[in-house]
Amino acid sequence: MSNRKTRYLLKNIRRQRFYNLCLLLTILILSSILFAASVISQSLNQGVRNMERRLGADIMFVPKGSKENAENMLLEGSRSSFYFDDSIFEKISGIDGISEITSQCFLKSLSADCCSSEVQIVFFDPETDFVVGPWIETEYSKKLSQDQVIVGSSITIENGVIRLFGKEYPVVSQMAKTGTALDSSVYFSSSAKSDVLLHAEEKGSFLTEEQKKGEILSSVFVNVSSDVKLEKVIETAHQTVGDIFDVVYPKQLNTSLAGSLSNITGIVRILSISLTVLLFLILLLISSLIMNQRKQEVALFRILGKTKRKLALALISEVGAVSLAGAVSGCLLSALIVIPFGTFIGRSFSMPYLGPGTLKTLLLVGVISSSAVIISFLTSVFFILKVTNIQPYLALRREE
Amino acid sequence: MLRVEEISKRFKKNGRTVLDHLDLSLEKGEFCAVMGGSGSGKSTLLAVVAGFLKPDEGHVFLDGKDLYVLSDKELSSVHRSRIGYVPQSNILLKNYTVMENIVSPYTDGEKEQVLKEKAAVILSEMGIADLADRFPYELSGGEQKRVCLIRALLMDPEILIADEPTTGLDAVTGDIILRFLDTYAKSGKIILAATHDEHSKALATRVLTL
Repeated sequence: MSNRKTRYLLKNIRRQRFYNLCLLLTILILSSILFAASVISQSLNQGVRNMERRLGADIMFVPKGSKENAENMLLEGSRSSFYFDDSIFEKISGIDGISEITSQCFLKSLSADCCSSEVQIVFFDPETDFVVGPWIETEYSKKLSQDQVIVGSSITIENGVIRLFGKEYPVVSQMAKTGTALDSSVYFSSSAKSDVLLHAEEKGSFLTEEQKKGEILSSVFVNVSSDVKLEKVIETAHQTVGDIFDVVYPKQLNTSLAGSLSNITGIVRILSISLTVLLFLILLLISSLIMNQRKQEVALFRILGKTKRKLALALISEVGAVSLAGAVSGCLLSALIVIPFGTFIGRSFSMPYLGPGTLKTLLLVGVISSSAVIISFLTSVFFILKVTNIQPYLALRREE
Repeated sequence: MLRVEEISKRFKKNGRTVLDHLDLSLEKGEFCAVMGGSGSGKSTLLAVVAGFLKPDEGHVFLDGKDLYVLSDKELSSVHRSRIGYVPQSNILLKNYTVMENIVSPYTDGEKEQVLKEKAAVILSEMGIADLADRFPYELSGGEQKRVCLIRALLMDPEILIADEPTTGLDAVTGDIILRFLDTYAKSGKIILAATHDEHSKALATRVLTL
């Protein structure tokens, strides 16, 4: 479109500034709602899918009384530490019906003076771990030596190292964002446990005598053969090690998360659809008012030689330009709120939340802006065709 | 050049026949005054001749071509450059300036400057050059009528159809408009004007009474 035509278009839009402002605001609200709803739904969905992929254990044994801490740690990434004597691992691994077993040990760094930042430390066995191991392997498949660490995406690294308990550990890999608790953890091989605990003890007095010995673990993750009932394994574990553990069901946690996700996205979808329908009706009303307002102008222009097609195209261009401006502004405005506060939104739903990347955000802006413009077009095209098909002479006589 | 053959027009609402097998033929340089009482069909005739209101019977030929068989594009082209129309009421767009009211119907932003320069010349000839940037509500009835006339004349149409161009105007303004129409007709154009004005009758080369 030439500059002159653009100036002419903008001039026409300014001439109907009140109605066009109404149209712009309605489209802005519509697109900001659609954008926010899409980003929130997709981020929750992605977060839960990541969680599902990375917490694939049937049973997680944790010390008695630590169930809530363990669940919060898995779901919300809250830092926590709870310990068993590590002899429990041997005892549980002897239970019939277990197809996979691994253990992890959690340690939280407490104070800023000992560490670069407060983090959750996870010791895992790269040989047997089926919980975070496969995920870590996607980014780092080599053997993890005793003084090397892998960090989650939210961990701050300085010059390729992380300082924990007064010692610097080289970071060999930083994982991609998952939107789950995994993002805020530092991963050591379990062979580094004694060494790290030693440094921890030197820097702080928060370790118990049991912890100082390094013969501890926080949880035992178990997958059960398909022909064995979980309850049976748990009952046998009770008989074997006594009443010293609670049970968390990560897969069931996922199922419950998926249920919550379904509820939340369902509500978001219903709200979005309801508001879209409402705004669709408002757009119909605005389009009807705009075209009614312009009836005389159209009739006069028809009498003075403008074709129906030219007039319809001019009106569609105006509606399109205003709608596009409203749609892009709405998406950007919504992005300014939804994207920076993503973590807060995830926490408020108590669910993992993985916001979209730049490319996906731009794609969403494109798709939603186009959708908003199409909705605006659909609500106005009938009135545009109606007004350009009037009998211009009779319409002008009626206006006289 | 302009030939009206056997046109009839009835209004469905009241069943009244306002034009009944009417014939008319106009050539370049003619100023035809259409006279008659209220409701006699003057405005209807003008609308039919202009190509705005299809007759129930008969044809309107411009250079041998029936206006009512033309496509929308062809008819629009005729209205844009060959037939100028001045409505009975001073229909001006309230959120357009005088200059925009005159120029906008003929431009989409292209050739705007050329048309503005031409409009400025006619505004000056009509004695309202200083009103170019005013809005219609700032103008008197006579000034509004002149703007409507300038708008119809901007593209130098071969035929100017004016529906009561002097009605409601003071004698001086009416005189300015009539003189302008007379000059325009004498430059080889056709004027078809519905009027009650005796002055118009005096200037007309032909009078058609309905």
